Amino acid sequence: VDLDAYIDTASAMVNLPIAGAYRPGVARSLALAAEMAAVVDRVALDDGELALAAVYTPPGIGEAGDA
Amino acid sequence: MHDPTGPWASAAEIAGAVAAGTVSAVAVAEATLARIGRENAGLNAFSDVTADRALAEAAAVDAARRRGAAPGPLAGVPFAVKNLFDVAGLPTRAGSRINRDRPPATRDATLVRRMNAAGAVLVGTLNMGEFAYDFTGENAHDGPCRNPHDPTRMSGGSSSGCGVATAAGLAPVSLGSDTNGSLRVPAALCGVFSLKPTYGRLGRGGTFPFVDSLDHLGPLARTAGDLALAYDALQGPDPDDHACAARRAVPVLPRLAAGTRGLRVGILGGWFEVNAGREATQAVASASAALDGDCRIVPLRLDPAEAGRAAAYLITSSEGAAFHIERLRSRAAEFDPDTRDRFLAGALLPAAWVIRAHRVRRWWLAQALAAFRTVDVLLAPATPTPAPPIGAKTLVLDGRTVPLRPSLGLLAQPFSCIGLPVVTAPVFTPGRLPLGVQIVAPPWYEERCLRVAAALEAAAAARAHPPAMTDAAA
Repeated sequence: VDLDAYIDTASAMVNLPIAGAYRPGVARSLALAAEMAAVVDRVALDDGELALAAVYTPPGIGEAGDA
Repeated sequence: MHDPTGPWASAAEIAGAVAAGTVSAVAVAEATLARIGRENAGLNAFSDVTADRALAEAAAVDAARRRGAAPGPLAGVPFAVKNLFDVAGLPTRAGSRINRDRPPATRDATLVRRMNAAGAVLVGTLNMGEFAYDFTGENAHDGPCRNPHDPTRMSGGSSSGCGVATAAGLAPVSLGSDTNGSLRVPAALCGVFSLKPTYGRLGRGGTFPFVDSLDHLGPLARTAGDLALAYDALQGPDPDDHACAARRAVPVLPRLAAGTRGLRVGILGGWFEVNAGREATQAVASASAALDGDCRIVPLRLDPAEAGRAAAYLITSSEGAAFHIERLRSRAAEFDPDTRDRFLAGALLPAAWVIRAHRVRRWWLAQALAAFRTVDVLLAPATPTPAPPIGAKTLVLDGRTVPLRPSLGLLAQPFSCIGLPVVTAPVFTPGRLPLGVQIVAPPWYEERCLRVAAALEAAAAARAHPPAMTDAAA
């Protein structure tokens, strides 16, 4: 992936100007995020699992599950 | 029994002495403020010292006792809070330069009010990594918080001032936050106890957020008993936090000494061992040895933690950046350079990565809950290494050189990702810097973590020790 090109396009898309001095650090962070995305991508997920919302509530289990 | 006005008195000792009238809360506050005045310059723990407020609160505790009113379970106990907690009269800076432009808070955060209601006395606010995006304790605006055990070393972050103040005898209890390990890393590197409760257990009303779906608050202390004492005072619903569960308070202090007989303790190998250095692995082994016999020790692998950690990384990066995007657009130059680039990158992540990370988070929770069918608690190192030198940029993990900032908390991230309760217990080896062991339980079982920590403390396998640089004889 051409990270410079991606920064140009994506930053314009979200209206977030990124100064030249910041770009090497941003590129390093994007590369690390891509490594993390690859780890996440390797997990075999079941399409029957409905867990798509970005809202999280730990479940209660056993005797500590009483509200 | 320590002198209740000295640096190493526990919160329980101070509260007992104040309630008995053998020392006044004002005398404790004056001694604490004097100590902060002498020692903070070398440690850089405090952002603001609330001396007038502390003396007024202490005087009120003493007056209540003289009237015959119950002075509270934390009577006269000095405490300090990470500077992302609202404290009336101060701007909530969250470690940033930008937030110093905010108007002063008009009301204390929920947990500050709870501490005060229990009789505790606020002595100040504490330095932290900018906007809590930090594992090191460094801060471009305020300078580094220095490890009391070796001031050339990192304190850990982002609750850096908390770890330092509590370890150095400047506040027996402090309150911090933990999104990916920000209570556990400084507790481990500074050699104190911390509790990151279950996500949703403690109210976050009146605190400056980082990643709403991952942010937790919790206490640090020098004993497991003090941790339980503070935690019990902090529990309860919070109408100012949408994620705070409407659960009844479950006091743990009365059950702290119930022991650990029969508990099944899983010792995490695999990914956790591969990413831990020799000293961190030895710290877990020594804790395991102390529990063996009373407990059943079960070697265990839970390698899906790697995907949980990756999911936490992506969610943090994206959600944190989205929260700050207007500040990134208009005031990027005022960010700490060590957080700015990561925030900017986070705003550019593809949505598909982030949504998948949320699905993987749920999947990882299922793997962890399955493990808890065979064990009651898990033990793992809190950090891969003891405190690195201030200024270090890389870390060697499993023979690979990796960037230090995102990696120092990698062993902590999987558990906050799924909101599990974790106590970090300090492990000291003579002549070495401290390390921390994470004691992890299923959701809402904080008591189990605390009982194991208390057992380790009773066995002298996990204890906080005064730093050599301070006056341990006091």
